[in-house]
Amino acid sequence: MSGPQDKKRKPKKTKAEFELSRRTMLKLTAAAGAGTVLSPMILTSRKSTVLADGTVTEPFLCPATPVPQSPPHTPFVDDLPIPSPAFPQLLSPAPTEAANIANGEAARDPHQRWAEFTPAVTYQLEAKAGTHQFHRDYLPSYIWGFNGQYPAPTILNAYGIPSLVRFKNSLPTTTSSFGTNTTTVHLHNGHTGSESDGFAGDFFATGLFKDNHYANAYAGIDAFGGFPKGDSREGQYTMWFHDHMMAETANNNYLGMNGAYFLYDDKCPPWEFNTPGSIRLPAYFGVTDIPLVLAFKRFCATDTVRGRTEMFQVVNAAAPGTDKFTVNGKIQPKLSVRRRKYRFRLINTGVVLNWNFSLHGPDGAQKTMTVVAADGNLLRTPADVSATSIPNTLEVHVASRMDVVIDFSQFSVGQSVYLKENTQTAQFVATPTPPDPAPGVPIGTVVMRFDVVGNTIIPDSPPIPSTLTELPPIPPAAPGVDPFEWGFRFIPGQADGNNFRVSHSAVAENNANHTATFLPFDPFRVDHAVLKGSTEEWIIRNDTLAGNWLHPVHIHLEEGRILERTVCTVPSATGCLPANRTPVTMPPWEDGNNARRDVYPVPGQHRLRIRLAFRDFVGRYLIHCHNMNHEDAFMMVRWDVVESMAELRKRREQINAERVARGDAPLYRKEDLG
Amino acid sequence: MKRRAFFAKLAIDKPSGELRAPVQGVPHVASPGPMFFTNALLRTHENKEVRFYDDLISGKQVLMNLMYATCEGACPLVTSNLVKVHEALKARMGKDLFMYSMTVKPEEDDPAALKSFAQMHRALRPGWTFLTGDPYDIETIRFKLFGMNHIAIDTNIYGHTSFLLIFNDATNRALHVDPMASMSTVLRKISWADPPKTREQIMEENRKLQEQIDKERRMFGYRMNA
Repeated sequence: MSGPQDKKRKPKKTKAEFELSRRTMLKLTAAAGAGTVLSPMILTSRKSTVLADGTVTEPFLCPATPVPQSPPHTPFVDDLPIPSPAFPQLLSPAPTEAANIANGEAARDPHQRWAEFTPAVTYQLEAKAGTHQFHRDYLPSYIWGFNGQYPAPTILNAYGIPSLVRFKNSLPTTTSSFGTNTTTVHLHNGHTGSESDGFAGDFFATGLFKDNHYANAYAGIDAFGGFPKGDSREGQYTMWFHDHMMAETANNNYLGMNGAYFLYDDKCPPWEFNTPGSIRLPAYFGVTDIPLVLAFKRFCATDTVRGRTEMFQVVNAAAPGTDKFTVNGKIQPKLSVRRRKYRFRLINTGVVLNWNFSLHGPDGAQKTMTVVAADGNLLRTPADVSATSIPNTLEVHVASRMDVVIDFSQFSVGQSVYLKENTQTAQFVATPTPPDPAPGVPIGTVVMRFDVVGNTIIPDSPPIPSTLTELPPIPPAAPGVDPFEWGFRFIPGQADGNNFRVSHSAVAENNANHTATFLPFDPFRVDHAVLKGSTEEWIIRNDTLAGNWLHPVHIHLEEGRILERTVCTVPSATGCLPANRTPVTMPPWEDGNNARRDVYPVPGQHRLRIRLAFRDFVGRYLIHCHNMNHEDAFMMVRWDVVESMAELRKRREQINAERVARGDAPLYRKEDLG
Repeated sequence: MKRRAFFAKLAIDKPSGELRAPVQGVPHVASPGPMFFTNALLRTHENKEVRFYDDLISGKQVLMNLMYATCEGACPLVTSNLVKVHEALKARMGKDLFMYSMTVKPEEDDPAALKSFAQMHRALRPGWTFLTGDPYDIETIRFKLFGMNHIAIDTNIYGHTSFLLIFNDATNRALHVDPMASMSTVLRKISWADPPKTREQIMEENRKLQEQIDKERRMFGYRMNA
């Protein structure tokens, strides 16, 4: 053996040297802390870290190894906060159709359908650093949020009232946190033009702003007239906006860059009394209709000198594992409820883990929740999640939204009800672990507690109707067009990278073996082009073998209908032969006959057949895994909606040529070229 | 940590809470320093001894990947892409941007082996250093810098060959990119760790981007009627 071992080496760092550097580090921390304390601060009972001029001191990250255990907390002491509604405001400079480059608007295509949907309401949300206290027992934590808040203000709006949100980037020029100060904001899953869709490659720098134009019209604008425009069966009610910065989405979302966006219409108005067309669900925002913004977090030890309990962040690593569950930015909060129905809008903001909920009464017995909407879309028939239902728990995958109605009149005053998480590692509460609040409900698994404090004052809403909405017919398959297939695969140790990849192929050619190259995301590479107004059948498959690596796949622009879900009886890393596919029964909130979705959970060896119509808008859109670590590892692909047959042909020929150039089979047959 | 470095760090932590504009060459106040990077003694392909943090990372903007000389899978592909990266950023290399390729098989790869690997791949270039060292130190650096907190990935030494880490110790940026991504993506990501840009630079870049978007729209007849 030759090499370094041959040479006489400088002595390795001794223990004393190491100790010295550690002491220096400690001194440094203390000195820097003193600086913070001496600076002019807004005084509060706790040491605040917001300075008089509104700037926020940067965080001091705790060491990554060993991974810290979050500080203990007392369960159920904080009340569940309700995110404040965003206030409309006039914007200066006024929004324009083409990007206002001279005044610092980020580069973009001109807004589509601008004259048709002139914004009637405008908002400004400023992405900036702030602090947020996640628990009474904690000091404030450094966050990035819209208007410096976490969760961001909730935008409440209605179909028929076009809106425009100015996202201003005021994130710090340099930061000690692990965030990246460029951003692009996606309204998940708004039916919007590509220039307002927060495409991952359309990020913009600190100091710039970008106007996102939301038509707030139902899908089907071209085919349906009326007011509000579009097909009212396409209503989406619970959406959320979040940072979609390519490669950095997980970090920026973990730091808090997300919030809720609700739309109302005649079917779901923001009131409960009887008006034409209303299905009369619980509807008073913050009173009987409550957003639950869910996030997994981990914290460093509380630093009393600096006045912070920082979120645990590891520079340049995947978003860290978690040991705290937060709801609307609080750990294990409580909510006082009265004996009536409530609508809760569960929003999984990730960044990587999925929830699996059940509701438990004071005796530990499972109680009923009724799912009324999935991914913001009303179900045709509401579905119960109870001890006897199949499945008996409710999975909420990353980026998914589930609206549930809980009827607290089944409990008596003084009783407590628990929302339990069933699959993730229980959160750390305190040492010793406090006793179970109810039999069979360990304290660490409880996400939040509902306290039934009295009879209802506002009259209860009527029973949930047995039919919530009519669904538009599943768009018919285009004759002669084979489905296109998206393969999601983890490729260890391969020449093209140890990474998460999406590949695209025509099913006719690759029914079993997925031979097309799995490429990393490139915002300038188009992998599929579709014609505006057309319908396609897509297959989403996950070839993972080991474990059950579930990919929550998200498709921008349009809601889809799941026709079929199969699992492979003979697991294969390259693809499942048609004979080995066994259908899987889908829960009512997934079945295309009962639900519309924009997040498609695909466990390993599963294969989903979905149908989508591409309507009203054109431009760049995405299909990606919404496990934010996976999308940051470029398990994401751009596809385009184009305006004309001529352009479709041009794009498809280009895609074919690029594929042939890298040794793949062409994607489109001659008759597919249009 | 040296006494001087300690005072240099203090000087940039202004009590106003606003971090002073970072100075290349001076570690950022929040730099995790040798506590994270380690200060292991490594050896270059020129057979020179270097301290990992003090000599290679401290205050610098760097790119780093893993390789081994006999690798026939990803390494040649990755290295040839890195050659393209070097070509694109030639003007900065060795001045304010540095590249490091560290072997994961230090038992096999002595400085001479690394040098011939570099020669073979046209990678003997200014500002590009190949590194070997004590296997324990190399393993430590691999776990700390390339770790994904995922047991299956982290225990496989061949697993990280396609990660290109991007650090700027002066701005405390730490990013990573797949070097097999398109060149524009790789260069874009490297630029995210550049020293902060002025307002004028940002506005100028934004103006150029708009020109590019308009050009694409003209090219494809894309939304011309918008």
